[in-house]
Amino acid sequence: MSVYGLNKACHLVQMDAGFRERLQADPAGALADLPLTDEERRAFMEGDVATLYRLGANTFLMWRLQRFRVFGLTADEYIARIRTVLDDS
Amino acid sequence: MAEIVGAFGTPHMPTAPGEVARGGPSSEVGQIFDAVRQHVDAVDPDVLVIFDTDHFQAFFFDNMPTFCVGAAPRTYGPAEDVWPGLPSYDVRVDEALGRHLHRTGLEQEFDLAVSQEFTIDHSIIVPLHFLSPAMQRPIVPVWINGIAPPFPRAKRCHALGKMVRAAIEAWPGNQRVAILASGVFSNDVGGPHIRDDQTTPPDLEWTRFVQQRIKQGEINDLMNAVTEERLRAAGNVAGELLNWIALLGAVDDRLPRMIELEPGLRRGNAYAAWRWD
Repeated sequence: MSVYGLNKACHLVQMDAGFRERLQADPAGALADLPLTDEERRAFMEGDVATLYRLGANTFLMWRLQRFRVFGLTADEYIARIRTVLDDS
Repeated sequence: MAEIVGAFGTPHMPTAPGEVARGGPSSEVGQIFDAVRQHVDAVDPDVLVIFDTDHFQAFFFDNMPTFCVGAAPRTYGPAEDVWPGLPSYDVRVDEALGRHLHRTGLEQEFDLAVSQEFTIDHSIIVPLHFLSPAMQRPIVPVWINGIAPPFPRAKRCHALGKMVRAAIEAWPGNQRVAILASGVFSNDVGGPHIRDDQTTPPDLEWTRFVQQRIKQGEINDLMNAVTEERLRAAGNVAGELLNWIALLGAVDDRLPRMIELEPGLRRGNAYAAWRWD
């Protein structure tokens, strides 16, 4: 697990327009150079913010994923998915 | 020597400029920002020293300063921190004052970082948009890390504010300097308690506690309550309170002329002004 890698991916979504474009064209390729586990890559590719939250991603940075509509995330989808962590015991 | 003429605290919601533009004169948020702006205009500062939290724009985990002074000739924003309705501005920086604060800090044994090239995010753009809309006043950003734990201690931030005040008062010339603290008392961005309207219910107990301590000058009580755990409970950006703590170090015993919570209490925001006159 690389919390730094999770946060870096979210950070680059806002800071690096080229990274954003690669994410639309070839998401797996865009993530390839980041220090992420297979589980983390899967979670990003599926916009699975609940799993990213449980893996320790910084929520302030994660919120940018829906602002820039990467991994198919809309605000409504982000909100619905992140709320599911409240069901964790 | 330079003199401090006022101090001001506001939040920095990136959606506020658009919200206020749409709401017109009846916008409550517009009115409360305007109340603070009237105090700014009354003291008419030449330069604004801004205690601020960088929101992972100037800095990231690859290189995260605890305290950093901005000393560049100019800056602009919000750069990549794009929000609907948020204007872009070029903003002058008082580079010489920034270097003076950095040097004085080191002499006073504060291990400050310095940045000579940076952009400013909504947390500086929004207060300037409302308080100094002509952008005629140069700024000096002083960033305090209140967003990526672990944070500096409240007492250290307070001492930083005292040091900045002394440094300003030792700065040759006749500049009129105002201190600005940017940030909320309680907010959480993108966390599990987020509402459908994309805001998160604020911790009103904490917000009111902080407001009352500041209003009554009970700063030691406030600082004793500022633990990392308590801030985390108030939201992932509640560490912005440390900017206000630094401002309180600069204002010393002065009580605020105003400190009001945002009407509607849907957000943990406070708007405040201190006057030296």
